[in-house]
Amino acid sequence: MTFGKELKFRFKCLGLLMFCLGVAGCGETKDASSGTKRETIALFTKNQTNPYFETVRVAAKAAAAEQGVDLKNYIPTSNDSIPEQMNQIEDAITSRPSAAVFIPVDAKAMIPGVEKFNAAGIPVVNLIDRADGGQFVSFLGCDDYAVAMNTAKYLLQKMNGKGNVIIIEGQGGSSNNQKRIAGFKKALEEFPNVKVLASQTGNFQRNMALQVTENLLQAHTQIDGILAANDAMALGAIEALDAANRKALVIGMNGTKEAIDAVKTGKLLATGDCDGFLQGCMGTMAAVRHLRNLPVPREVIFPITVFDSTNFKGADVPYEQRMCPKWESIVKD
Amino acid sequence: MKYRLIGVVLIALALGLSSDAFATPSNLLNVLRQASLVFLSASGLTLVIVGAGLDLSVGANLGLSACFAAAAIKATGTLFAGFSAGLACGIIVGLMNGLMVTKLRLPPFIATYGMLWMLYGVNYWYMKGDTIYGFPSEFRSLGSGDLLGIPIPVYLMAIGLLAGGIFTRYTTFGHEVYAIGSNAEAARLSGIPVSSRLILLYTLSGAMAGLAGVIYLARLNSAEAGIGSPLLLPAIAAVLIGGTSLFGGNGGLAGTMIGAIILTLVLNGMNLLGINSNWQPLVTGVIILLAALIDSLTRGHAELRA
Repeated sequence: MTFGKELKFRFKCLGLLMFCLGVAGCGETKDASSGTKRETIALFTKNQTNPYFETVRVAAKAAAAEQGVDLKNYIPTSNDSIPEQMNQIEDAITSRPSAAVFIPVDAKAMIPGVEKFNAAGIPVVNLIDRADGGQFVSFLGCDDYAVAMNTAKYLLQKMNGKGNVIIIEGQGGSSNNQKRIAGFKKALEEFPNVKVLASQTGNFQRNMALQVTENLLQAHTQIDGILAANDAMALGAIEALDAANRKALVIGMNGTKEAIDAVKTGKLLATGDCDGFLQGCMGTMAAVRHLRNLPVPREVIFPITVFDSTNFKGADVPYEQRMCPKWESIVKD
Repeated sequence: MKYRLIGVVLIALALGLSSDAFATPSNLLNVLRQASLVFLSASGLTLVIVGAGLDLSVGANLGLSACFAAAAIKATGTLFAGFSAGLACGIIVGLMNGLMVTKLRLPPFIATYGMLWMLYGVNYWYMKGDTIYGFPSEFRSLGSGDLLGIPIPVYLMAIGLLAGGIFTRYTTFGHEVYAIGSNAEAARLSGIPVSSRLILLYTLSGAMAGLAGVIYLARLNSAEAGIGSPLLLPAIAAVLIGGTSLFGGNGGLAGTMIGAIILTLVLNGMNLLGINSNWQPLVTGVIILLAALIDSLTRGHAELRA
């Protein structure tokens, strides 16, 4: 093949590819503009793998249907990818949604993204993870520090305020992790007879937490409690305990369905959470209320629940069957 | 091979001196159990790299196979269905990689990188952010159980090592893989059916990723769409630290086992010594580079003497 021919061939391929993309693109816009002109809410979540964000998306979809608006999801294909979320913001701005509900993958790194929304005049509601800058209609979320502190306190009380614990940290550098670990440490300050044997990272991953717990079980003959910075790691730690025939009280965070099931069977002591379903509902409703000139407070902090064997009921109802609460029942003027 | 062991021995010696908990039989078995999972995910990949190929889809393939296996066990209640689903997924993906590399002449990096994203896509779509969890204990013992005091994954590693050793040393196909890796053109001219051999190699890599997926499922007692992605780089690192060259034609499974053990020892050691989480990535990087440096120095010295 001569150079010219090869070049031509490549252009043909490129043309074919662009044609395919064009067709796909058309399909998408048709979807969005079907029916009468409806408002569109762009929802930005952090990844496709954490069940917590799937809960948020299911709830947002329910709220959007109730409010009669369209919902468009933007989810990075690489988990919590900063550049990808930044690109998705630019993509969203070109299709001009009425408003955005935004969960930043990183509190600081996404500030320029929020500023792009601001410059384009698209109102943004900040949900779940607080961004450190940019203009928002409102922040609705949960105080991770307080959730971690309350859940840890619950564990330490169950241990009668004495014994040995290990901490399984999340990903270093993540602001969620920093808040959660700070919450754990604050709770531990109140229980001077509890000794922290080790605080090691499990990167928010089940497999790594399993491996780290196996290693720590080798190093320490008596571990009474395990504080994990999310549910997946707590469940990984439980697998390690089971395999080694050891017992310890374990807590996690997020209130995922799997964790609630583990609470039900008594394997997990508790999981702390601000209900992801409630947050997905309220975030979407806040955006719609703003579009319809209804009052939205600058800040809504959701109540914290520590799910244990006494109060898990209701949390184990499949999300698809749940209904969003009334705005007024959560936000009192 | 024996020179590669020096790195392992030095790390183990340092850990034995600094932590009482390290040199105990139960911790050494613990390290072997963890290393055997890395080994399984890297074993088929090793042979592909020996053949001068590359399979970037092992992690994604492992994750998808684990999810399919989990769904099959949940749907049918039989473990056999789970094994079949996981293995079938792995084999089909591997076969597709092989066909892309040979018939479509795509560079291995690009073919398997594209495959990686396609598999993530299928898995995200299939799992919809869900987790499949809770499996029968006889299945879970495959990943976390013991037989005669030795973890079951360690037996699997031993079988893989033995089978791989026989394959590379005593079969024609095994010799052909090294020939293809050294010089594919020369191999083709000397009558080796390069394309069909490469297709088989990629299929084998896929099959091993599928099998590793089932073992990970048994160990974690749960499957979620994201489980494979953090496993890709350690698998490639285990192969390369074990002395198999990315250019192909040399190395083997025994080296990959040593690479897997070195990677596992690093985390084990940091946990036992309680190294601050913030320093762990830095420590990991330094130890891996030191292990590679010791290896290259001792090998250079040995080659000079020879």
